[in-house]
Amino acid sequence: MTTEGGVQYSKIAEIKGPLVIVDDVENAAFDELVEIETKDGERRLGKVLEVGNGKAIVQVFEGTSGLSISGTKAKFVGKVMEMPVSKEVLGRVFDGLGRPKDGLPDPIADKFIDINGEPMNPEQREYPKDFIQTGVSVIDGMITLVRGQKLPIFSGSGMSHNLLAAQIARQASVVGTSDDFAVVFAAIGVQYSEAEYFRRSLEESGALKRSVLFLNTADDPAIERIITPRVALTVAEYLAFELGMHVLVILTDMTNYAEALREISAAREEVPGRKGYPGYLYTDLSTIYERAGKLNGRKGSVTQVPILSMPSDDITHPIPDLTGYITEGQVVLGRDLFRQGIYPPINILMSLSRLMKDGIGEGSTRADHSEVSNQVYDAYSRAQEVRALAGIVGKAGLTEIDLKYMNVGDVFEKEFLSQATDENRTIEETLNVLWKIVSKLPKNEITKIKDKFIDQYYQEE
Amino acid sequence: MAAQGRIVWVSGPAVKADGMSDAKMYETVTVGSSKLVGEVIRLTGDVAFIQVYESTSGLKPGEPVIGTGNPLSVLLGPGIIGQLYDGIQRPLRELSKASGSFIGRGITTTPVDMIKKYHFVPKVGNGDVVHPGFIIGTVQETDLIEHSIMVPPDHPGGVISSIVSEGDYDLETVLASAEKDGQNTPIKMYHRWPVRKPRPYHKRYDPTVPLLTGQRVIDTFFPIAKGGTGSIPGAFGTGKTVTLHQIAKWADSQVVVYIGCGERGNEMTEVLVEFPHLKDPRSGKPLMDRTVLVANTSNMPVAAREASIYTGVTIAEYYRDMGKDVVLVADSTSRWAEALREMSGRLEEMPAEEGYPSYLASRLAEFYERAGRVKASGSPDRDGSVTLIGAVSPSGGDFTEPVTTHTMRFIKTFWALDAKLAYSRHYPSINWMNSYSGYLADIAKWWGENISEEWLSLRSEAYGLLQREDTLKEIVRLLGPEALPDEEKLILEVARMVKIGLLQQNSFDDVDTYCSPEKQYKLMKLLVDFYRRGQQALKEGTPLADIRNISVVSLILKARMDVKDNEMAKLDQLDVQMQEEFKTITGVKVSN
Amino acid sequence: MASNSALESTIDKILTNTEKNVISNIRLALVDSQQKIDSAIPKLESEYDKIISDGKKEANKIEKQITGSSDIEARNKQLMTLEESVSKVFSEALDQITNTARNADYSNLIKTLLNESTQILGTTQITVLTNSKDKDIVRSILPQFPGAELSSDQINCIGGVIVKSKDGAMTFDNTLDARIERLKPLIRKEIASKFGVGN
Repeated sequence: MTTEGGVQYSKIAEIKGPLVIVDDVENAAFDELVEIETKDGERRLGKVLEVGNGKAIVQVFEGTSGLSISGTKAKFVGKVMEMPVSKEVLGRVFDGLGRPKDGLPDPIADKFIDINGEPMNPEQREYPKDFIQTGVSVIDGMITLVRGQKLPIFSGSGMSHNLLAAQIARQASVVGTSDDFAVVFAAIGVQYSEAEYFRRSLEESGALKRSVLFLNTADDPAIERIITPRVALTVAEYLAFELGMHVLVILTDMTNYAEALREISAAREEVPGRKGYPGYLYTDLSTIYERAGKLNGRKGSVTQVPILSMPSDDITHPIPDLTGYITEGQVVLGRDLFRQGIYPPINILMSLSRLMKDGIGEGSTRADHSEVSNQVYDAYSRAQEVRALAGIVGKAGLTEIDLKYMNVGDVFEKEFLSQATDENRTIEETLNVLWKIVSKLPKNEITKIKDKFIDQYYQEE
Repeated sequence: MAAQGRIVWVSGPAVKADGMSDAKMYETVTVGSSKLVGEVIRLTGDVAFIQVYESTSGLKPGEPVIGTGNPLSVLLGPGIIGQLYDGIQRPLRELSKASGSFIGRGITTTPVDMIKKYHFVPKVGNGDVVHPGFIIGTVQETDLIEHSIMVPPDHPGGVISSIVSEGDYDLETVLASAEKDGQNTPIKMYHRWPVRKPRPYHKRYDPTVPLLTGQRVIDTFFPIAKGGTGSIPGAFGTGKTVTLHQIAKWADSQVVVYIGCGERGNEMTEVLVEFPHLKDPRSGKPLMDRTVLVANTSNMPVAAREASIYTGVTIAEYYRDMGKDVVLVADSTSRWAEALREMSGRLEEMPAEEGYPSYLASRLAEFYERAGRVKASGSPDRDGSVTLIGAVSPSGGDFTEPVTTHTMRFIKTFWALDAKLAYSRHYPSINWMNSYSGYLADIAKWWGENISEEWLSLRSEAYGLLQREDTLKEIVRLLGPEALPDEEKLILEVARMVKIGLLQQNSFDDVDTYCSPEKQYKLMKLLVDFYRRGQQALKEGTPLADIRNISVVSLILKARMDVKDNEMAKLDQLDVQMQEEFKTITGVKVSN
Repeated sequence: MASNSALESTIDKILTNTEKNVISNIRLALVDSQQKIDSAIPKLESEYDKIISDGKKEANKIEKQITGSSDIEARNKQLMTLEESVSKVFSEALDQITNTARNADYSNLIKTLLNESTQILGTTQITVLTNSKDKDIVRSILPQFPGAELSSDQINCIGGVIVKSKDGAMTFDNTLDARIERLKPLIRKEIASKFGVGN
């Protein structure tokens, strides 16, 4: 941390959108933290987006409303934005820029860390393969989460993603270990009530003392949202890689983040990519999502569950699309299932956990896990086709085997997918329900499971 | 005289410096007091526009910029195989020694271990005349790779005036000198080559030999030739990366260059963890002994992503020049195109479609043009190939976006991944209606000579069934399956069997992950024979249900997993069993 | 930086003086928090009895909640107490600095501050603002900086200078207040570690 102060400049050339352009700047660095002082002495933070030829373009996190050309001053602080971290951040609540929001003093820092982080060296990563039991059957059984993974929830407006994320945060555990774990929660432009639901849920499960909350709610400045996930991940990395904790990071809602990014890009008059989002949206999102992982020779891990709402439930919208290209799978919520009152309304056909194959099987879950899960997936997919067909030709037009598949679809949704928000199922319970579903099919329909497992687990009528 | 300038402007990976009138286009420069690596990409007056390959956070106007006099180059010599490089050939293992688990800035290292000794066996003697490309000797780089030491392409050649005897030498040792016009030019175990300049060769051949990947839908239906080009576009979740990993694992080439360009860090880690344990099916040696990785993950600096493609293809050409078949897999060219777009935007160039620069198409063409099967320069005669396979990540899975459409103009094999197939867990999710291969006619001869004369006709028949099914499915969708006559229902049934028993392949199954050409052929033949016999049986009045229910069906469908490559007799037995069962069902019919 | 080490040694001195005093405060706070936790236990037990019929799950949840929140409450109380102590040390340090004798050492400090400021602004064409106490010292040093002049406006600070470029476009705040403010996070950490907290 530098002890040099920064020079304050008072020649403001232009204010547009979230940007302030300062003239006659001699000594500013790219990415440097800037303190803006308004005419009335109010202070706001910003950072340098572009510097050169005597000009600096500064992005103001708290917005530019109320700023004027004369009387506004910009102080270049001489360092990039840093987050003070220590073990004492656990149990604390911060605002979207990492400043205390709980009436308590600034944390006494063990370290000050650049919030942008540095890319992990792929050679130093440890491939994630420790199964996390979330107690949610459909996730554990079919979209398995592992430590160090980034697995987003793709939701739509009004759907139950918060219930699900909170349930995962409360119940997540790694069977057979006693390592410390922590939850870092970043609210990015969500309603106060949603953030509060999350806080209460953590409190009620006694998890608050090992949680850190960063809250930028809907009425907080929009540009601040660029910073919120970064301060949250900086703390998460510290807890994980310096203190050896297993950290679950929940970022909600990444759509608001991307919108803040678009706002800045528009103000800079950059050439837009799809739907007005900047061409570097993919790269920018990756600097957030890629901060999940495990490292060789270090104990902790950062697991990310970002939540994003798909505008008009459209999975091809740039935000879910680019997210899906970076994350290791996705959990997609389905509007139809939600309308039917099913919780969690996860559309497994569109969901996927890329790291599942390495986190399951003998030694972590059970040897038959992969095969039984594939078979049920396949059967449910067939059930959907049959349902569509039944819609055209009527139930009477279906063959006997079609009807069996239709039944599989119903049992799947009622007994496997549906679960209470406080119901915590073990992996054995989950696998047993999967076998119950498979056993609704005649044996010659089972093409994805080895005979020895069929002999062992198939439940004859 | 190297240029020495001063930064005047910084915005992300783009930096402008003045006082740079001595700089050359594409010269590498060191930027700022922390000596970041950059490359000059535009010169205007004495102002150089520089793309910086490391994070520019904290960089200030006024800091120095110093030219190196050299274009961006890679070091070519033994020690490359088995490495994991970043986009500008810095070994990531060495970087971690300098900066730990996270990638620091301004670190300089050599791409390979310069003091490691290799056992050099000379192949020329004093007085021999050599030209660029001549092999002067060999070293054993890994168990799998015999590394030829060649006269570098930019060496003047001449008469060998000195050469070391067989023995152990490090990379800096002068192994030989060649004299021309009274000038002696030394030859070491390594040389450098600029990445943006294709390496020369003697002549180019038409690709006629298939690159066998052990993946049935590729080898049997949409084959690629050695020295060919292929593209694999797909929305996220369609299994692009798994398919590329499969090709990198099982392709019958001697060297694999895998470029992770703007993709996930864990995917590179997966390769690093997995490949040393996997055995090459032909040699039995670890796959890592033939693999080079170039990783510029999505969160690493964007400019180095642009360079990574060129770094990779230059390494591939180098091994090609030794007479090896090299496969280069680039995941994903879309991220590379985005890097181009980002730099172009910072240069304030006039954008074409979706903000991509107007030179996107020509850059793609230049890249894919570096594929080919060639006769290398120099003596002894040797043929090598570079096969280029690029993933494309179309936004929203939309194949009409610029990167996909431009790529399609320059490649000959197109494996279109399909989200619908992936959602039904049909992997690899290569859509057989949208994919194509321009090499089918060229490589049919190879299959005819090496596997079976009837390969091409069987393939056409099997593919024809899939095409018929596609039209029939439309009717089923409207009227239900009962609307079809039995002959057409049989087609649906056999198409389903082709999909499950042949097209689908489980890359996580120990047996199914790799399929030999012979097994591919036999599986296909079983399915086509089933169709032919079924058609005959229907004509003779056998009910469709009886045909469907013969017990050999489920055995055929599981054969891809149950029958190992060295158990081909089991597939012949299945054929015998099928004949028997058909006899039984048609026989019963007759006796009634 | 010379001016910093001078500062830090002053603070160090004051620390030793107030340490005992503050440590006893901390002890009291710790006892207090211990009592809080102790008193939470009977509360917990009574809760237990009340809800045992509601099932074990619910009890478990509430147990976690109560121990969880009393843990946090105790910890937060500790944080507040610590902060109070830190502020106390701080304000005592500031008082002491305000009353530091304006001797030769002090004029050297002012000179260092001015030097640094002109370097950062890149010019000696400056206007200097200071408080009434430091006015004379600043005036005596300014001739060493050609083009620099003392502003007639006075500022309210414990010491040091604010330096402006003559056109008013650039300002550099090099008052002792600003410097201490910048150092504050580090000083807080140091004070806290003397109390055995924060490591």
